[in-house]
Amino acid sequence: MLKAGFVLAALAVGTASSASAHVTLERRQAPVGSYYKAVFAVPHGCAGSPTVKIRVQVPEGVIGIKPMPKAGWTIETVKGKYATEYDFHGSKVSEGVKEVMWSGGKLADDNYDEFVFSSYLVPGLKPETTLYFPVVQECEQGVSRWIDIPAGGSSGHSHDSKTPAPGLKLIAKP
Amino acid sequence: MARVLASLAALLPALFMASAAWAHATLLSCEPADGSVLAQPPKMVQLNFNEPIAPAVVGLIDAGGRTRDIATRAAGQSVLIVLPDDLPQGTQIVSYRVVSQDGHPVAGSMVFSIGAVTGAAPPATATPLAALIWLARIGVYLGLFAGVGGAFFAAWIGQGPGGFMVSRGALAIGLVSAAASFGLQGLDLLNLPLGGIVTSAPWKSAFATSLGPSLSIAIVAMIVAWFAWQSPGILISWVLTALAMTGVGLSLAASGHAATAPPQWLTRPSLFLHGITAAYWAGALAPLAAMARRRSDDLPRVLKQFSAIAMPLVGLLVLSGLMLAIIQLGSLRALVETSYGIILSIKLALVIALLGLAALNRFLFTPAVVADYENTRSLWASILIECVLVVGILAVVAGWRFTPPPRASVAPPEAPLAVHIHTDAAMFQVLVSPGKAGPNDFVLQLMTGDAALLPAKEATLTLSLPERGIEPMERRATLGPDGYWHVRGVLLPVAGRWRMQIDALVTDFQKITLEDELQVR
Repeated sequence: MLKAGFVLAALAVGTASSASAHVTLERRQAPVGSYYKAVFAVPHGCAGSPTVKIRVQVPEGVIGIKPMPKAGWTIETVKGKYATEYDFHGSKVSEGVKEVMWSGGKLADDNYDEFVFSSYLVPGLKPETTLYFPVVQECEQGVSRWIDIPAGGSSGHSHDSKTPAPGLKLIAKP
Repeated sequence: MARVLASLAALLPALFMASAAWAHATLLSCEPADGSVLAQPPKMVQLNFNEPIAPAVVGLIDAGGRTRDIATRAAGQSVLIVLPDDLPQGTQIVSYRVVSQDGHPVAGSMVFSIGAVTGAAPPATATPLAALIWLARIGVYLGLFAGVGGAFFAAWIGQGPGGFMVSRGALAIGLVSAAASFGLQGLDLLNLPLGGIVTSAPWKSAFATSLGPSLSIAIVAMIVAWFAWQSPGILISWVLTALAMTGVGLSLAASGHAATAPPQWLTRPSLFLHGITAAYWAGALAPLAAMARRRSDDLPRVLKQFSAIAMPLVGLLVLSGLMLAIIQLGSLRALVETSYGIILSIKLALVIALLGLAALNRFLFTPAVVADYENTRSLWASILIECVLVVGILAVVAGWRFTPPPRASVAPPEAPLAVHIHTDAAMFQVLVSPGKAGPNDFVLQLMTGDAALLPAKEATLTLSLPERGIEPMERRATLGPDGYWHVRGVLLPVAGRWRMQIDALVTDFQKITLEDELQVR
């Protein structure tokens, strides 16, 4: 049993693709200095319990946040100061949405849903790096925190992390 | 065309996403419950997941510390594990790795106890396996001392292929033995039968222990020494053999009872010196014997050169050996009262005989040969006896693999184990009491990089023992009135080098993760 099992485990590790059962961004690559529609895919609840709240932390350099309304869910945002001033449509902005929250709904564990906001990636963001959007998924019972950011920064997730934060790879403006 | 390719490339992540709608399996519950104490041994363990899974590896380590054969069956969302009927009283650990629908492996461990909570004794060593481990150990020593040492002697002093066959043979034996050691040690760690050597598990777990670096260095040293023979220039073979000799010292200093004894700044360098000097001496014996037998006219020069360096080196060899013996023994009585001490006594007796012969060679036979290079009979006989003594010493020393030094058994058992983890972001002090196999209380003192109390919202402790194949167990800590985080009654069923991970949630969106190892006695 043990022998056969080991081979199986090795195979499973080998075939597991980078895409996985985590909360992730639908589009994982975008040019800086452009609009970006962030679609958060939520494939399941917290250990079987239905999802009742999704909170997304907006990283520095992502501005002009406009959450898409969602039937059955209430949208709230938390505003705060940016680290620096950004140019947006010819005017200077120094504060804006830092966190988006959907609550009041109920997403069963065996259903799938998406949570969307549109945003603008400022031109000052560095291409060839990864921007992380930490997500806290609150359920009727328990919480899943998709907040692990690899220590190296932009090198992608180590296989170890069970709860990686959704990442967006930045590319140069075409 | 390029544009088409680019858009195709952009589509690829989307394709992967399609398969990603599957969920990871999560353990919802198990029967008996994790950490429960039962009056009667259960017939089976049932693990319930949130979705259908396929079991990959499920292992059971019983209260006696033995890995047991078990039958497993997947039934929909559950895994049924049929337990053996002769489980001993005490704490048993079930470690599982299952494959969820998305192909991702999910792993964890659960413990339950029969009658009472216990810490397991170290597994008893099976005798045929012990004999093989012992033989392989001798083989590695032969390769390192006679093989690498012989290559060094040939390059630096002999300047010729004297005793070529013996050194080469020793290297070959050493390489085979080093490779075999990995598998055999792994079998011992996992307590598998000899047939298990064809699977990858024992090799992997042996590699994860301190034997991994030690044997790897030994293998590299022996391969380097092997090629030093064929190197085109004397300069290259000098460099290569010197490197290989350094490898001998490093390999010995990387593993074993003595290398891990405190104070390590003393024991590791001592072992390094002990290894190099022993290899210098042992390596010279076969080539010298060969030259004496052939009555080589080069012998007087070689002998003079060898002895000039050998005198101070043997001094170092004896000194470093004495130092290690004193640290390991703790007291003179241990020399006769413990099995470790008895092995050391035998070794000392053989070493004294060897030193006597060496003195005889140095002060009686060597001058005789220098005077007349045909007069080699007594030197030859004496070196042959030296060779036998050296093999005897190596065989005795290899027996140490099976006996803990008295130092280890007198260590104060009651002091809690303290582990300090320090990074730029944070400083965690972890106290584990009693730090032995069995139930343990953990105190996590979480501090920021500049030693202020770290305000955490949650703290989680994750423990695993890779060398025994025990998958991670996660335990939530609670904040005590003392400002520290506590996890009480964590069952660590077996002793060993546990891996510990602490996650401290600082804000809803940020956590600090630190890892270290924990030596559970």
